[in-house]
Amino acid sequence: MRAATTTRRRDIQLAYLLLAPTLLLLLTVLAYPVGWEVWTSLTDLSPLKDGPPAFVGLANYRAFLADPEFWRAAAVTVVYAAVTSVAKLALGTGFALLLARPFRGRALVFLAVFLPWAYPASVSVIGWYWTLSPPIPTAYSVLMGNIKYAVDSAFGGGAWAFVSVTLFNIWRGSSFIGVFLLAGINAIPPQLFECAVLESKSPWRRFWLVTVPLLKPFFALAVFLSLAMAFADLANVWMLTGGRIVFPVIGTHAYWLAIRGGQFGAASALSLMLVPFFLVVLLVCFRIFDPPEGTGA
Amino acid sequence: MLIERTWKKWVYFYIPLTVFVVGTLFPFYWMLITAIRPDAELYRSWRAATNTPFWTLQPTLEHFRDLMAKTTFPQWLWNTFFIAVASTAISLFCGLLAGYALARLRFPMAGTLGTSIFVTYLVPPTLLFIPLANIIRTFQLGDTPWALILTYPTFLIPFCTWLLMGYFKTIPRELEECARIDGATRFGAMLRIVFPIAVPGILSAGIFAFTLSWNEFIYALVFLSSPEKKTVPVGVVSELIRGDIYFWGQLMAGALLGSIPVALVYSFFVEYYVTGLTGSVKG
Repeated sequence: MRAATTTRRRDIQLAYLLLAPTLLLLLTVLAYPVGWEVWTSLTDLSPLKDGPPAFVGLANYRAFLADPEFWRAAAVTVVYAAVTSVAKLALGTGFALLLARPFRGRALVFLAVFLPWAYPASVSVIGWYWTLSPPIPTAYSVLMGNIKYAVDSAFGGGAWAFVSVTLFNIWRGSSFIGVFLLAGINAIPPQLFECAVLESKSPWRRFWLVTVPLLKPFFALAVFLSLAMAFADLANVWMLTGGRIVFPVIGTHAYWLAIRGGQFGAASALSLMLVPFFLVVLLVCFRIFDPPEGTGA
Repeated sequence: MLIERTWKKWVYFYIPLTVFVVGTLFPFYWMLITAIRPDAELYRSWRAATNTPFWTLQPTLEHFRDLMAKTTFPQWLWNTFFIAVASTAISLFCGLLAGYALARLRFPMAGTLGTSIFVTYLVPPTLLFIPLANIIRTFQLGDTPWALILTYPTFLIPFCTWLLMGYFKTIPRELEECARIDGATRFGAMLRIVFPIAVPGILSAGIFAFTLSWNEFIYALVFLSSPEKKTVPVGVVSELIRGDIYFWGQLMAGALLGSIPVALVYSFFVEYYVTGLTGSVKG
């Protein structure tokens, strides 16, 4: 009995010892910054201003709620996340179903499908930029320019930039989701599919009644990651629009305020306003789908 | 499987497959073609009679040569490599220890800690770059590789821990218990039995961490300012685009050279990576 408790105590000590480096690092570069950000969002801190920052309460937040620019950025962010996630999921499922059956050259196709995700986004985005918004004197720039003006005049300025960022995100993200769902399909025992073939002749019914329910945890995680990444997207938008603000999302807005404008207080408040978005996404994802076992819990 | 008619196979299989593959590969082809196209052809008018938008008749390596000789591109490559290796090493070390503790040891608050480490993975860089910029200014780390080596673990450690925890759970406990009976301490059993078995998992976490830090953009954009200190993604975007002048050939050459090694490594180890992912979902 005594020996058992000492072993247990030793286990506990070892556990904390092993967790120490992780916790230390995460506390200093994650928990502390988030705390600092919450506090800063309540002040008017700015390196351009003399004297200590003044406490302004919720003024930063209130200013944004009254600002139509903010609502525009928020709306764009939501539409962006929703559109890309739906398209990524549909295309990714398509990839996975096509690749689920063996055929000649499958390994090569698999590699091709995976490449957009494996390739650094920051540089493949340049290829897209060159294709979609070419510089004036290039061979096909007249054609792309015409498309751009047509789209912009139909849906308002910045629409083409929005379309190009969305296309890029879908291109890159569906690659990941496809590979991820394929792993999920491969993990399902093939007997279940064979059984389903006997039960129903329609592949459509089999897909909805057998494949989808079995893949639920994978779908949930894929949707969640995709939405979360789209909400917080800053890099893709930044690079595909050449650093100009053509259409605002919350991420680029905060970047301009903080780094270019030096308004740390307001920028902190703005990026913290992403948090409610995240919570909604989390809730919705785990309401619709069962939470996958082993992630987090 | 059932015997299918040929036209059905074409409609439901070959045609969609071709569309998918062409769609995923076209941007890469476009980058390649732009990188080897001579300048004269790059800036020629759309209506020129000899126009060949989808291929080039005089491929040239001029842009690659310029990139290596006239810009600090080789230096960017080295910076990126150094930063990626250092931050991957730190994150793997932390992730291994923490993952083992969370998967195997029973201690109070194990569940809470596990969940909170997972939740930190969801804190996006967009939320963190403002306070981190402030911290880095306070410690005078701005414009040094350490600014990135110490901040990349914020998103690397949670992922490594989570992935390795899933992997450790698939290793049978009995192996460890045998070693304990033979006289090994818990720590010894972890080092000599569990870690060697977990090498595929460690490899997949390492590759993932390496590519993530190689591809990182926002922190590198915010924390580094001098041209010779930059990483490949930021350097290519910020130094080869000056105002409205784009060095297109060099840009594409840089985009290709800067990432082909990573893409290759990733593709070789994709099996490990996928097993690691599914292993951690199934728990």
